Amino acid sequence: MKEKTKSKFFLSKKIDKVFIKLNDIWLFVFRFFKEVFVPPYEFKEIVNQCFELGVRSLPLISLTGFIIGIVFTNQSRPSLESFGATSWLPALMSIAIIRAMAPLVTALIASGRVASKIGAEIGSMKVSEQIEALEVSAINPFKYLVVSRIVATTLMVPALTLYTALVALLGAFVNVYQFEGTSFTSFFVQVFEAITFLDVFSSVIKSFIFGFTIGVVGCYKGYTSSRGTEGVGKAANTSVVTAMFLIFIEELLSLQIINALRIVD
Amino acid sequence: MKAAENKRAVIVGIFVLIAIAILVTGIFTLGGQQKRFEKTFLITAIFDDVGGLRKGNNVWFSGVKIGTVRNIEFYGESQVLVTMRIEQDVQRYIKKDSKVKLSSESLIGNKILVIVEGSPDAPIAESGDLLPSIVPLNTEDMMVTLQKNNDNLVGITSNVKELSARLLEGEGTVGALLGDTVMADNFRSAIANLDQVSENTVRASGALQNFTAKLNTEGGLANELLTDTMVFSQLKTAVTQLQQTTKSAANITENLNEATQKLNTSDNGIGILLNDEKFGNQLKNTMGNLETSTEKLDENMEALQHNILFRGFFRRKARQEAKGN
Repeated sequence: MKEKTKSKFFLSKKIDKVFIKLNDIWLFVFRFFKEVFVPPYEFKEIVNQCFELGVRSLPLISLTGFIIGIVFTNQSRPSLESFGATSWLPALMSIAIIRAMAPLVTALIASGRVASKIGAEIGSMKVSEQIEALEVSAINPFKYLVVSRIVATTLMVPALTLYTALVALLGAFVNVYQFEGTSFTSFFVQVFEAITFLDVFSSVIKSFIFGFTIGVVGCYKGYTSSRGTEGVGKAANTSVVTAMFLIFIEELLSLQIINALRIVD
Repeated sequence: MKAAENKRAVIVGIFVLIAIAILVTGIFTLGGQQKRFEKTFLITAIFDDVGGLRKGNNVWFSGVKIGTVRNIEFYGESQVLVTMRIEQDVQRYIKKDSKVKLSSESLIGNKILVIVEGSPDAPIAESGDLLPSIVPLNTEDMMVTLQKNNDNLVGITSNVKELSARLLEGEGTVGALLGDTVMADNFRSAIANLDQVSENTVRASGALQNFTAKLNTEGGLANELLTDTMVFSQLKTAVTQLQQTTKSAANITENLNEATQKLNTSDNGIGILLNDEKFGNQLKNTMGNLETSTEKLDENMEALQHNILFRGFFRRKARQEAKGN
């Protein structure tokens, strides 16, 4: 009996669990890529999710981006002021917003709003056996619920990132105009002088990855939730935490890759 | 339900379209600003040291950004070949003898390449041309010069220190000036005198001005002297005559001097008379003898008047004289 229990685990119960989980995630992602290119396509549901996850997040993200633009500019001023370089504020803000803040802030807010929503939504459908009901009614629940949401987040987060970048730059301009009196043209000339195509494209590509991560984490956590309403809450919570954690890891990795590309360029 | 779905689709479409518009606008602005889509040509320059220049750094001409550094590679043993991408529009301003200089945007700014204008007659640079480079003054050289200045400054400050110490101790003239109150008073009074002198000078210059004004008054002697050429020529003649007169007077004086000298010698009659004592005595004796002789002759003559032979003559003479009266 003891030998039987021992042979049940490859390394140990905990280590095996981690690898099993990783395998599950991999299979989940693999299934997404398998399903996404195979008809029938759930365009209506994708558009619906784009509206729910993307368009509805716009006011929150715009406001956050604008405030971040103002606050970050204001907080950066004293450091530059100490050696009389406040004229460099537009360039500094441009680099900070385009390279890091716009994709990161958008992804973090989206993970807070969207990942939790997806996790809770799919989780509650899972525990209330609605997913099984969909299967019964000849609808592929994975395609209908998971693929549409992951596609929506993957498309919407880059779009939201672009909005955030614009709005945050406007916020920075408002602050710079208020204190330095820099004109709109001068501000944006300096903004675009400081950045390169690599900065823009890397940010957009990064935000696609962030969007995909948010969608996958939310859907996976919801799709694999269990133990009733408690599981739904846990799915929503862990979706946000895991999504944010992964976003930071990806940000760190992308930073290394982009810097390597910058040196090559 | 269907209408609501369509509405959502439209909103999502607009949302995505605006996001794409932001991206495209950003890319075009960036491209326009960095002149990515403009026609360019390549020129190269070789440097011994590029001081941290990187790909993408700006190239300036007369303070205007005209291109970017496209490539940096080693050349020869240790030199660096820099390829620059320059806008086609400014090609006509870049001459074959234009020089390329390494500089920086500001004191702490990025490194840049500055193209210095060539001679106006030189042909226009073409794609692939190798322009001569100017060796810049690097920071190390500047620091060496600065260190020399520092050393000099230390020397100067130590000298000043020594000088001020000596001044405080009252050494030397300046030290004494600073400490000695008597000297200060003297100096003050000297300054006061100087002030007085300057006042007098001002007054004198005023008087001189009046005087010269008077001199310049028409009809005045001085003015006539200065302006009338006739008077001047007459004066000149008078002076010449005066000169001749003086010359004659000098000759007379000379002759007189000569005569006087002769009088002082005893080789002539008057000289002997004046200077020879022996002759003087002889002459004196002679004169005494002569006086005696004259007295005796007078007596003889009187005796003769009473002589019988000559008595008639003297009586006749006395009568004639009486008649004449």
